[in-house]
Amino acid sequence: MSESAPPPQRQIPIEPGFFTIPRAAGAPPRLLGSRCDNCGEHFFPRRVVCARCLAQSLSDIELGPRGTLYTYTYVHVPLFGSRRSNVEGYGVGQVDLPEGPRVQAVLSGGPGDFRIGMAMELELESLRVKDGEEVMIFRFKPVQEDRA
Amino acid sequence: MKLDNVAVIGVGMVRFGTHRERTVIDLAREAGLIAMRDAGVVLSDIDESWVGFMDGAPMLAPRVMKEFGLTGLPVNHVESASATGLVAFREAAHAVSSGRCQVAMALGFEKMTEMIARGRAGRGVGRDSVDSVILPAAYFALWAMRRMHERGTKPEHFAAIAAKNWNHGALNPYADRQADHTVTVAEVLASPMIAVPLTAMMACPVDDGAACAILATPEIAARLQPGRPVVRVLASALQSERYATGHTFLGPVVGPATMTRDTAGQAYEEAGIGPDDIDLALVHDAFANEEIEYYELLGFCREGEGEKLVEQGATSLGGRIPFNTDGGLIARGHPGGPTGLAQIHELVTQLRGDAGARQVANARTGLAQLVGGGSVCTVSLLQRG
Repeated sequence: MSESAPPPQRQIPIEPGFFTIPRAAGAPPRLLGSRCDNCGEHFFPRRVVCARCLAQSLSDIELGPRGTLYTYTYVHVPLFGSRRSNVEGYGVGQVDLPEGPRVQAVLSGGPGDFRIGMAMELELESLRVKDGEEVMIFRFKPVQEDRA
Repeated sequence: MKLDNVAVIGVGMVRFGTHRERTVIDLAREAGLIAMRDAGVVLSDIDESWVGFMDGAPMLAPRVMKEFGLTGLPVNHVESASATGLVAFREAAHAVSSGRCQVAMALGFEKMTEMIARGRAGRGVGRDSVDSVILPAAYFALWAMRRMHERGTKPEHFAAIAAKNWNHGALNPYADRQADHTVTVAEVLASPMIAVPLTAMMACPVDDGAACAILATPEIAARLQPGRPVVRVLASALQSERYATGHTFLGPVVGPATMTRDTAGQAYEEAGIGPDDIDLALVHDAFANEEIEYYELLGFCREGEGEKLVEQGATSLGGRIPFNTDGGLIARGHPGGPTGLAQIHELVTQLRGDAGARQVANARTGLAQLVGGGSVCTVSLLQRG
């Protein structure tokens, strides 16, 4: 990268080790999970010890990006991340991944956009820019064709 | 482990609320001295203490205990989030039952208003983390929305539970919230929405407070307080989460809800009694929808019949099985550290027959349940005689 052209803003996760930030435009983010080598159970986030059979041999895998909405709410108290006191509200939900884990996350959309059982997909949201880097968090949004 | 030969010989608390002018040590000293007077003991009679608080400097437990005297007794710090006070109680009960102590103290205190002001309340994982964004209210709202989907529960059911607990609190001089009028379902529903379907009046307040219980063998109880009914501790169980496929590791404050069924099952088995033997129950109603789940998980009705109990008023004072007779977390308040010991205070007051306007007729056996973030569930069973 030449020093004369302004570099594209680098995206970093709010915490490392939970999700991928795809380089290719349009590629979905994935969740970083584990699969037990002994019993095959899947986990999010990653684990060292299998919570089902207690084996200590697990492999890193990527989970998602799609799942089914198990439950949700819409929070009217303005608190989101460390510097998001300006938002009016936000959705929170639990999404069942086909591999087994139920993932709790912020939802993208308005108070009337969700229903239990709908298809959801992972996306990234920019929380803020810090030292020239864009701090990203994962969230789920309703799958578009499901809404039509 | 089965409990044997343990009684609560003294209780004390300060009214929960905002105590701006008093330090947490002031609150703890007052609750402890009331409990010791109620028991008829001084510090030299107490063999060991369990001190419960969530937010405090290192060394705070022995420093607080010095307010009562300096006798060399062992002092332990207990922290288990919302369940802290009831977990401290469990430790004291098992210490007496095992013979390690003859007299034990469980003391809990907190200034939650200061925790909130310093931004220290919450998950303990720092604010800049993947799961710092989700409020406790949101998590319990997720339970509520799922229940509404599965059972057809209405926001009116949750509001009726909240109104009941507000109205119970008005009868309790130790309650933070003492409404000057009968709180209605409509009023609860009309209060500001926090997290759909939970409104502000369905949630517990932010409180300061302190509470204390003194435990000993029933023989000591009879010697110190001849003629007063002896309140025994039949069981005190504590469990943490059990894994099942679909477990949500990141985000939830408390869960899964089935912890309450497992923990209560253990307590009932150890005590040799069941839900039919219980005359009143105090539970973790930080949010009103939790209480309907606990009706079922504690065995007071079949799964899916919690709404019927609400509609029948069965869990109000005067009903079949009164819940949260002191107002619960919603009205009595929920400072954190002392909450479980306020439940013990209420059970002992009821089982002695000293609860005045909110007395449950012929109350003989009571249950206290709390969940605590992380998470844990604890259930204690107390019985007169």
